[in-house]
Amino acid sequence: MTMDPHALLSLGTKLLDIDEARFRQVVDLLQQIGDLPEVQHTFSLIRPRLAEVRPKRRPTFKRLFCEPFEDLFQLPTGGQPAPLNKIDRGVVNSLWPLVEGQIGKDRLRGVTAALGDGASRVEPARAFWSMAAATVADILEEAEAGRFVDDLGLRLNPDRIRTIQDIARILTIAQPVSELKAVLSPKPIQKLHKDHLEGIQTIGRQVARSRPEALKLFVLLAAARLTDPSILLGSLWDMDLGQKSSDRATLFLDLSGTVVAQIEERSRGAATTTVTVDRMAAATLAVDLMASLEATRNAMEHSRNKDFDQRLKTVRESVHELVRTQVLDGAETEILSAVETLAPGADTARMVQAENQARALRKCSTIADTLGLRGELKSVTQQTTASLTGTARQSLSEGVGDARTGYTAIRMIELIAGPAEANQIMDDILRGARR
Amino acid sequence: MRSLINFAPSTFEERGAAVAFTTPVLAQTRVRKDDRELLEVLIPNLSDGHGVYVVPWKGLPLAFPMTVHDRMLQDLIRRGDGCSPDDIRKAVLQAARCGLAGPLAVEAAEAALRDEDEQRLLINYQLIVEVLKAVGLESSDILRAGLGSEKGEQLTRSYMTKAAQSLALEPTELYTRVAELATFMEPVGIASSPKPARLRRLARDLLQFRDSMTEWSTGNVSETAPIGTFCAEVAEHTLNQVRNVVNQLDQSVAAFELLLRQWEVKRPLVRRATTRLSWLLDGWDFIIASWAEAQTRSKHEQEMAVHELFRVLPLLPKDEEKSDHALLADGLLAANRRTVRAYVDWRSGQLDMDLVMRIEAIKAKAA
Repeated sequence: MTMDPHALLSLGTKLLDIDEARFRQVVDLLQQIGDLPEVQHTFSLIRPRLAEVRPKRRPTFKRLFCEPFEDLFQLPTGGQPAPLNKIDRGVVNSLWPLVEGQIGKDRLRGVTAALGDGASRVEPARAFWSMAAATVADILEEAEAGRFVDDLGLRLNPDRIRTIQDIARILTIAQPVSELKAVLSPKPIQKLHKDHLEGIQTIGRQVARSRPEALKLFVLLAAARLTDPSILLGSLWDMDLGQKSSDRATLFLDLSGTVVAQIEERSRGAATTTVTVDRMAAATLAVDLMASLEATRNAMEHSRNKDFDQRLKTVRESVHELVRTQVLDGAETEILSAVETLAPGADTARMVQAENQARALRKCSTIADTLGLRGELKSVTQQTTASLTGTARQSLSEGVGDARTGYTAIRMIELIAGPAEANQIMDDILRGARR
Repeated sequence: MRSLINFAPSTFEERGAAVAFTTPVLAQTRVRKDDRELLEVLIPNLSDGHGVYVVPWKGLPLAFPMTVHDRMLQDLIRRGDGCSPDDIRKAVLQAARCGLAGPLAVEAAEAALRDEDEQRLLINYQLIVEVLKAVGLESSDILRAGLGSEKGEQLTRSYMTKAAQSLALEPTELYTRVAELATFMEPVGIASSPKPARLRRLARDLLQFRDSMTEWSTGNVSETAPIGTFCAEVAEHTLNQVRNVVNQLDQSVAAFELLLRQWEVKRPLVRRATTRLSWLLDGWDFIIASWAEAQTRSKHEQEMAVHELFRVLPLLPKDEEKSDHALLADGLLAANRRTVRAYVDWRSGQLDMDLVMRIEAIKAKAA
């Protein structure tokens, strides 16, 4: 591989495929080039791998600036739900040179120790974040008055103003946020345990006392470290953050609104997909959405809040449609025709697709009840299983056609109804054949 | 139940041969014969406990919910002649071809069987060439006439008759010796083969696995790193043994005339060496394929994969290796207790079908 750092910029997404040692080497070289737009572009292309490999990045003030709110950056992989309040990297890239200029080199030099490791970094880092928070607040004020627009190089729409506001507020609670990160590690957390909840509550109380206006952002940052933000919603109602009950209700309402909006967005994304290639993916999405929906609904029941009932009902309806159209419709025909027209050595892809269809049916059995699709799913699985049993019996017991067709039919029954039922049917057929 | 220290097998036969089950808790468990020559299965670290459960083969479906494929495989092994790695492999390919482990497993099994056929043809031809070379005859005429053609066969017969005379053997005796040698050497192949046979390919993959695992563990600060290092060490020790056996076989084939002349003496040695090689590499195909699959996953999933590999790692028996792997493994287990692994859905006791699917995908690559 070339050692010319500038030549690396032309490699783009090819850097996603090189081995890990080389990747770390490349990241190191790119950092040496400096904070140029081409370098930023290359980093944005390799961001999914950066998140995965987490190479040791050269400590810079820009990185330290981003540290408190980095969990709100959205990864371009799209595999996980987006953070509830996304922060646009473009805004940060435009904002940082201004912040750096306003703070000034002399003051930054005074807190260089913040770029080090260990306990000696805590105080200088706190001082840096405090300077940065004040500077961003000033920039925001000036920007709202019409200044800095050219310097920012961005048209300041409400979303971008909101992002800068969020950054300013998060910087004021940078220290508690770094404690929160230590509690909620490693990211992403799949389940909140007692120590997680106690940590969030203790640090959250400090925030509520010192910076009540930043409490919602603190909670959103906590949510961003979880696989599914709705998990936190369920625990939040019982959490005592030392607020007045009216404030607590407002915070809960705010967060609920954001969580519900996110679920709505995910379900809309699913509904607009007209052609589904992978029915298993549709089933997985439906199950995930229902988990979020259930967690949110349970949290709402705690608070006796009816505001979101209609919106949650709409989400449920769209998941219902997703399962009905993309998992149930045509399932029987697809599975049966794949098994019955099975030609040895041919069409593996079609068989894989039919297997995915069968798995999707089984996966949806866990949510069918809640979606009101129990009867429909039961009828599809029973009919399919009965037809497959017939095919298996003909092939294995009566010797019609190829034995592999019979075994494949049994395999499909296993994927749809589970091994116990499939073993039972297989035993019955083989016993019948021996008689 | 016995702990891993108590269960430190002395021989390969006592360790048992790995079975490619798709039921997660049974994946790569080992089967062997007990004192009464009845099959029994060894299941390590059940629910993360320290030790090995020994379950009678017959009672396996009663003890664990199994996939239909595994029920069939269990039945095929029960009805088969033995439980050596070769016997198990035959049953595994037969079960996979039925389609009960999915279409990809069918494809993989059929490809493996095609490869075996090719290797059989190749080794037969290569050994004939070696015979002719040993007595100073030229084999290119046969190749020119075409291996499968009538003329080619006639030429082969006439050359082999000449070779038998030169070796002072009856032609039928020479054929028998070559055929036996071909059967023994088929999974190993010979050193000069243009297409390495299965066990040589597996040894090459094991070398890559050792390097990859060493690289992963070096400089890794996670608690799993020592386990990864141990896996790489066991691979290294196994590779050393494999190299010894392969060198021994290659040397025997290199002195081909001697091998044919002293076949009665050499036969058991060659047989023992090839059998030992299949035992040495038994179970590694699944481990290598699992690790290759884990390479595309996150760090956390790779750590989980290393724990899984450790559970089914083919430790060398005490009689085969100076360092006591079972003792080292027990020490590692004590130092790395983990939370309970979810092989079954805890709410329903049902099999974790997503995990079954992953094992099937690995099986398709490891066939």
